Amino acid sequence: MDKLNIVQKTVVSIILATMVIIVVVPILFFLTVAFSNDVEMTQFPKRIFPSFSVTVKVAPAENGEYELFYDKGDGEGYRSIITTKNATKLENHFKRQYGVNISGEKLLEDFSATRENGPMEFTYRKDLLFNFKQFFAIVNNSSKALKNSIIVALYTILISLSIGSLAGYAMARYNFKFKETINVGMLIVRMFPVVGISIPMAVLLIKFGLFDTLIGLAILYSIPNIALTAWITSSIFIGINKELEEASYIFGGNGFNTFMRITLPLAFPALAASSMYAFLAAWNDTISALILTNENQTLALVVYKAIGTTSSGIQYAAAGSVILILPALVFTFIVRKYVNQMWGGVEL
Amino acid sequence: MSYLVLKDLEKRYSKNGPLIVNKMNLSIEKGEFIVFLGPSGCGKTTTIRMISGLEEVSGGDILIEGESILNKKPRDRGVSMIFQSYAVWPHMTVFDNIAYPLKLKKVPKDEIKKRVYAAAEAADITALLDRYPAQMSGGQRQRVAVARAIVVKPKIFLMDEPLSNLDAKLRVSMRTELKNIHNKEHSTTIFVTHDQSEAMSLADRIVVMNKGVIEQIGTPMEVYHDSATKFVASFIGTPPTNFFSVKLESLGNELFAVSKGFKYKINKEIEGPLKAYLNKEVDLGIRPEFIGVSLDGKKDDSYLCDATIEFVEPQGTHSILITHIEGEEVKIMTTEYMDIRPNTRVSLYVKDGKAMFFDKETTKRIK
Repeated sequence: MDKLNIVQKTVVSIILATMVIIVVVPILFFLTVAFSNDVEMTQFPKRIFPSFSVTVKVAPAENGEYELFYDKGDGEGYRSIITTKNATKLENHFKRQYGVNISGEKLLEDFSATRENGPMEFTYRKDLLFNFKQFFAIVNNSSKALKNSIIVALYTILISLSIGSLAGYAMARYNFKFKETINVGMLIVRMFPVVGISIPMAVLLIKFGLFDTLIGLAILYSIPNIALTAWITSSIFIGINKELEEASYIFGGNGFNTFMRITLPLAFPALAASSMYAFLAAWNDTISALILTNENQTLALVVYKAIGTTSSGIQYAAAGSVILILPALVFTFIVRKYVNQMWGGVEL
Repeated sequence: MSYLVLKDLEKRYSKNGPLIVNKMNLSIEKGEFIVFLGPSGCGKTTTIRMISGLEEVSGGDILIEGESILNKKPRDRGVSMIFQSYAVWPHMTVFDNIAYPLKLKKVPKDEIKKRVYAAAEAADITALLDRYPAQMSGGQRQRVAVARAIVVKPKIFLMDEPLSNLDAKLRVSMRTELKNIHNKEHSTTIFVTHDQSEAMSLADRIVVMNKGVIEQIGTPMEVYHDSATKFVASFIGTPPTNFFSVKLESLGNELFAVSKGFKYKINKEIEGPLKAYLNKEVDLGIRPEFIGVSLDGKKDDSYLCDATIEFVEPQGTHSILITHIEGEEVKIMTTEYMDIRPNTRVSLYVKDGKAMFFDKETTKRIK
């Protein structure tokens, strides 16, 4: 890389920049949408960065009413939006249209200045969390779905890590008949698209009484992840010098405390990485949840439905998406440190 | 009653597989420093792993103080082990590493602290107790492993090539320290190595092993000067013993070892048992330092043959001369200062009659 000439450098930079733009722009756009108020949603051209405040122009009107003007930024300048002196109406208007939380009385008080000074501009701070609150307020079951998602993800991590790491340990340390076949066999589970096997899967879960339950969903997510966890952890277990365990056996350990005190801590990076995969699998899935749940929906499914069904207020769905993304992002960043450890550096 | 007894000990890794350890019999006294010496794959590590309990025993018995330990778990055998890779746990501090065996035995905290400090002092690592193994050098990790082995006050110390991962200089100084610790603790120790100088310098008795069989058990001096088999003679000593295939012939009253290149008159003292091999082929072994070099054509009874020196390797304390007899490379070690250049014609003789004869079939020493 260091021997590139100026032309190559330029070409590489352009390619990289294009890739970054392709990735970043949609995210940025959708973040902006998540923080947009109702009027901004209908604006054109769209903003790239979210705004933090709303500016309205107010002129005094007859009968003690005020006329509000708003500039949509489309080149047509300020236009009249509403004329009123009703505090509740004003308050609701500001809340719904601009995402500004302010009492009607306070607005009327502010606006009264225009009686003396003539038309004035007023700037109010937007409630940035307005869309998020709205998302939970207007989308059915959304707060329950968030809770469900967290629980399902935790179950998935628990199941796939406890079974997968033991399987990985067996793969790494013991020889048995059909070992290779079983190793590959575990991965076969990952080959089937969920949609393809959805009907038998649903039937099975119904028969087991696990349809529309969180644990049923977690088991479903765990199955492919057990295989993945087994493969990831077994590669780490192989890398852990057997003598470290043998030393434990000699110096007083039995099988259980050797595994818990020596092997597992040493395999922690692998467990962290596996738990990340398990978490993401459970957290991001919509299709299984769509087929297999009814009441107990997960957040991803709720957001998906919100995007699909809300014709107005797409910004609330965007806010829901942000809520969906954040934990995954945070979790990944926490775990990243250990994943790095797994692939580089730390000597075992 | 010996402290540790191996009785017909056998090991195979699979049913009907080859015997890795073959009918091994050994008695070790309390406080002895025993070294298992042999080339890789000779079964020495397998043997101490069987003693430690990490490896299943296929046949025979192991007794400590007269009691079989075969049914005991490794942790109940009262042994401690130092591994080739040190096996110091990287996720624990030095203190925790040393304290681990005590914690598992539920020793009270104050006592753990006291004993860990005592062990750390013995291994000279008190300053490192808070560190993690990753922050330490190989030699320091080795000391941690030693301290951990001491702290449990074992009946037997097992050391599995503990010095082989250290660099040459450190190896020599650690060697002295291990011996030092052994002298202080009076612990019964079994030390496995393939390095003969390590074995010679540490051992009270050396057990020379080859292909799962004990070739010889003896003090360092015994295995060197009184090798029991051809293998021991060739394995121990640098450069190794020179071997010649000879036929024993008698001429008048005297016995001669005859080959194409030379005719050597056998010393009267060792003649006795050799008479049974009259007119048979045997192997003659002479250690490099027992081949003398004479520039003035000395041709007495100890005379072997004439040879042309091909290479001279000066080593400071001694020189190694390389020549060929009957097409076989022969190495000669001489401590005398001699002005010998390549292509010098010299006569070779056997010093002090130190010739060893080995049976061709059994490879055992004829004596």
